[in-house]
Amino acid sequence: MKSVNLQACDGARLSALMQIADAAALIAAGAPLGIAGRAEALDQLPAGNWVGGTTPYFMTEAGGRIIGEDQVWVRDFSGLGAVRFAAYDVDHLEQITQEAPENGFSLTIIPFQSECHQRFAHDAATYPLAFLRPTVGWIAGFDLGQAGGKAYVYDGRTATRHADRAVVAHIELPADQMASVEIVNLFAPDGVDTIRFDTEGFAITHAIVNGARVPFADYVNARGMADGRLPLVGDYSGAYVNASIKRVDGETVHLYAPVFPGVDYAFAAPVADFAAAFRDRLDGVSQEGAAWSCNCILNFLYGDLEGKTIGGVAGPVTFGEIAYQLVNQTLVQVRVQ
Amino acid sequence: MSLPPRTATCWQRLATGGLKQLKTSNLGAQMLGQRLEMSKLSAAQKADEIYAFFVKWERGLTNEISQLAGL
Repeated sequence: MKSVNLQACDGARLSALMQIADAAALIAAGAPLGIAGRAEALDQLPAGNWVGGTTPYFMTEAGGRIIGEDQVWVRDFSGLGAVRFAAYDVDHLEQITQEAPENGFSLTIIPFQSECHQRFAHDAATYPLAFLRPTVGWIAGFDLGQAGGKAYVYDGRTATRHADRAVVAHIELPADQMASVEIVNLFAPDGVDTIRFDTEGFAITHAIVNGARVPFADYVNARGMADGRLPLVGDYSGAYVNASIKRVDGETVHLYAPVFPGVDYAFAAPVADFAAAFRDRLDGVSQEGAAWSCNCILNFLYGDLEGKTIGGVAGPVTFGEIAYQLVNQTLVQVRVQ
Repeated sequence: MSLPPRTATCWQRLATGGLKQLKTSNLGAQMLGQRLEMSKLSAAQKADEIYAFFVKWERGLTNEISQLAGL
């Protein structure tokens, strides 16, 4: 893997939407970049020190945006430390943490509904060093308004797009700095029922609700949750980790993230105003050291975030978020301190 | 407060349920706690993982380290 150290690179850290030509100029200058946009835009970028993924949805400081084919969102990691780029197929995903820097984080992008997506979601928390070398990132998506949409990730070293790879920017921080992975989850358990699962997966037929095994689709329908607006909230030792409902298909409930045996779940309590709730949560939280963030497409859609600000946190809007493992309907942020 | 050595009994206590009692908002500690509760590793192996986590993130776990003696 080629290693690039641009600590001496001119300019402040950049995180912005820009024209394709401007992004190409940054690539040509050798800047280590994370890039997001539509496939038609990312296809035009030259080879260089970057990784990318598809999504047309973004949160900007001025509010939520859906961009066209003429723009991309660029995060310039210059100045953070040494950046190495890599790509992994589905059988080598656990090498992400093995090859991650001793001190830093690994920004990882995986295409929605790929084998890599499924495998990472199942296994990420059990990878060696998973909690010592943080993996953060996002699941690439597509324009939901266009039929036949497909998600891709880009290995910028060869300007190649992949439908089933994980592309990674391993970012090594100086010894006096530390990466902190944080989430903002608007959802909390509604307190109605405790739900457990005896199988792991994205497609579930049965659940144990308050101790009784029941057909999960029946339960979801009876609770009026089949529209997917409210996720399942898993209690991970006090951290709330969501798995969102994708659809109910006959006897099977399909999820955007797997559920796991041994975790207590509940449906989330409703959130009245997503944008206001984000602003409340982010108000008074310093953005000092903020190095990267993403937010979920379901928050964007159900929270009607287009044109609305959420407290200055900007980044791609994604089809799944990675904070050590896959999470849903969550804002993920990396802070370097 | 300095980190207790690996031989301290607090690591075994953390590995046998204590980690879930720790008051923490550290996402990594919370997720690790859940993962270890669900795993079939031995208590000693869990204690090794917990100790390694605290060594790695010691600078950001001041509040959690202050709780170790009371577990």
